[in-house]
Amino acid sequence: MANQLQPIFSVSDFIAVVNQTLDFAYPTVEVEGEVSEFKINQSKFVFFNIKDSGASVGCFMTIWQMRVPIEDGMKVIVSAVPNVTKWGKFSLTIKSVRPSGEGALKKSFELLKAKLDSEGLFADERKRQLPRIPRHIAVISSTQAAGYADFIKILQDRWGGVKIDVAHTLVQGSDAPDQIINAINYFNQLEVLPEVLVIVRGGGSADDLAAFNDELLVRAIASSRIPTLVGVGHEIDMSLADLVADVRAATPSNAAQILVPDKNEIIRSVKTQINSLLPRIIQIIDQQKQIVIDILSGSIEKTNEKIDEQSKNISNLKDILSQLNPEKVLARGYALIRGKITVGSQIEIETNKVIMKAEVKNVSKK
Amino acid sequence: MSVKNKSISEKTLQLTELVSWFDSGEFSLELALDKFKEAEKLALEIENDLNSLKNDIEIVKQKFDSKN
Repeated sequence: MANQLQPIFSVSDFIAVVNQTLDFAYPTVEVEGEVSEFKINQSKFVFFNIKDSGASVGCFMTIWQMRVPIEDGMKVIVSAVPNVTKWGKFSLTIKSVRPSGEGALKKSFELLKAKLDSEGLFADERKRQLPRIPRHIAVISSTQAAGYADFIKILQDRWGGVKIDVAHTLVQGSDAPDQIINAINYFNQLEVLPEVLVIVRGGGSADDLAAFNDELLVRAIASSRIPTLVGVGHEIDMSLADLVADVRAATPSNAAQILVPDKNEIIRSVKTQINSLLPRIIQIIDQQKQIVIDILSGSIEKTNEKIDEQSKNISNLKDILSQLNPEKVLARGYALIRGKITVGSQIEIETNKVIMKAEVKNVSKK
Repeated sequence: MSVKNKSISEKTLQLTELVSWFDSGEFSLELALDKFKEAEKLALEIENDLNSLKNDIEIVKQKFDSKN
């Protein structure tokens, strides 16, 4: 009797009912395991198993859903819809897959890095310069995150007058890359483009930062029409988003430091310039004073020389005059004779001591 | 020269030119004090301008979920 109550399904209906039940009970599951038998068919369809020591389950996805490289032996977490195929095979239809654990994250990072590097995405020739002082910037971050707060604080402390458009997105987890890509596309489609596109996120575990190693996100940053500045994690963290950016900042705070000058430094520099002017004026006044003093000293010196020269001349003349004084001649024993020098004439004879009268007795030629 | 309605970079450039005048061959003591006063006023304006500039932060309303 009990059997009569049990419905009899066609095979197709049975599989449909099982899938319906699965969909109701487990619309999406996350399963962690190790990849095995990884293969890509027709460059479109990806098949692999995930397994642990006790079981294995087949997985299917398209190649466009594979955002990070995976390979056999890599530990991954798949987000998937469980279902039974029309051939009765149980499998997981993958929505997303991400490496799990430090080793797998590192391996995946290195594989994608090598691939993108070979395409030249990290080449220095691709790097564009940021404007010296941007007036309009776009920021992509989680507005609730500490990294965003750090970035805005440093930016506010350093500079003003900037129009900052902020796109709030997730910055970790499987949905983060698509949200960031959508925000990049949003800003790149604006009629008036911002001058810089800044993507910031504070520090976190390797798993937290894994969103910034997403292949499509890295390619979106590379193809941005707006020059990009990426500051993700701490100084020691290096994501592929950092590598592909036009300018890499070590941290969100460093991104703000790179983006705008420090007004306090400018104010200090302006004050230093002004403070240097007065001593310079005083120095020039001192120099001018010294020049005037030197000129005056030179004039006085020349005048003194002329006076000395004239004094010497006068002294010489005085000596000559002194020699010509008749008193000096008389003092040497000579006498001055006045009167007519003829025999019998009265003459006056003056010596240095006396004046005497005499008569000329005789006159003869020498 | 009026410094009204000039941008900070224009004022900074003007200040640099004023300061370099003191080292140039055009320097004269007669003009130095006026030039110094002009430079001092400009420096104060630059400081005030820099301190009064505010950033305009706007959160984009658009949602960036893939579903939207």
